[in-house]
Amino acid sequence: MRSGSGGHSTAIDVPEADGRSASSKGKLAPGMVAAAPLPSPAGWAKGVAIFDLIFRICAMVAALGAAAAMGTSQESLPFFTQFFQFQAQYDDIPTFQFFVVSMAIVAGYLLLSLPFSIVCIVRPRASGPRFLLLILDLIALTLATGAGGAAAAIVYLAHNGNANTNWLAICQQFGNFCQRISGAVVGSFLAVALLAMIVVLSGIALRGV
Amino acid sequence: MKGSAAVELAEATRAPSAGINRGISILDLILRIVALVCTLGSAIAMGTTNETLPFFTQFIRFRAEYNDLPTFTFFVAANAVVSGYLLLSLPISIFHIMRSGAQNSRILLIILDTSMLALLTAGASASAAIVYLAHNGNAKANWLSICQQFNSFCERISGSLIGSFGAVTVFILLILLSGMALSRR
Repeated sequence: MRSGSGGHSTAIDVPEADGRSASSKGKLAPGMVAAAPLPSPAGWAKGVAIFDLIFRICAMVAALGAAAAMGTSQESLPFFTQFFQFQAQYDDIPTFQFFVVSMAIVAGYLLLSLPFSIVCIVRPRASGPRFLLLILDLIALTLATGAGGAAAAIVYLAHNGNANTNWLAICQQFGNFCQRISGAVVGSFLAVALLAMIVVLSGIALRGV
Repeated sequence: MKGSAAVELAEATRAPSAGINRGISILDLILRIVALVCTLGSAIAMGTTNETLPFFTQFIRFRAEYNDLPTFTFFVAANAVVSGYLLLSLPISIFHIMRSGAQNSRILLIILDTSMLALLTAGASASAAIVYLAHNGNAKANWLSICQQFNSFCERISGSLIGSFGAVTVFILLILLSGMALSRR
């Protein structure tokens, strides 16, 4: 074995007796240290793309759960009078209608973007699909954050009311309804956090391409 | 001779790409200044709301300002934080114009821009929900619309949303530009 330095070469002769020449080929000469192979940029982008896929699946589940929890929220109180409404559903408040539709759109988009994400894993050097996913992920992030923020404002009002505008808290009567809508808002913020991480991962992967 | 000709050819093909990167960085700076003006305007417009009706009774309130509603307080705080962030990120943007090949600082900017985008959108959409309630009320929850009495207050809070949502669009463009600059280094 020879080391490839310029001036003098240190040749160490390894005796190839007793027919073990094939196995000694792979062995290092004494004194040489094996250098650990650095991860290639393509392999590192592949790892980032795998994380992207995992986050995408989790975000889709969170968004779908939030839409379903809000969409199936309905509570009827067991008494009634002639003038007052004693039934609460998400339809009653337009902000919640917007929330259900937006989270459904975000969940559907995340489902449809799974094949693109898999393409990015298989071809780590392709920047076209990655860039398309970055644009669409940004739009989905904004839509999900908008829906979650608006619904959070209404849920806060439902819990606390507002003395200055004479808006009464409705959670006193509709406890179950309130729990449902609060849980839906929490789920949507989880989807928002995951989408933000997906956007950052896309940026990091674009750097490594 | 052959070596220098090859180097010159390589530099000639790299020059247009570096020029485009520089153009992207300049556009990034301009958009950042636009977003700064938008968010600052929104914060000030919402923060200086104060309307007092010229009559009063013993029990009912006839004065409206932004901190009567906690959502609007959050809106003013979020817009102030984002405009402060944009002011502090201007030097980094100028640095990117001079050194178009910088990568790690662009990733830092992407991370911070995404966080600010989420904060700004949450504040703007929460305020939009409350402004909608102020204009229309809600019959099922017995929430009355307050815009009938407080006209000028209502106009002010509705107008301050425009700057905030404009800044949201600008932030999306900023993140896209950073991603574009990263992928053509």
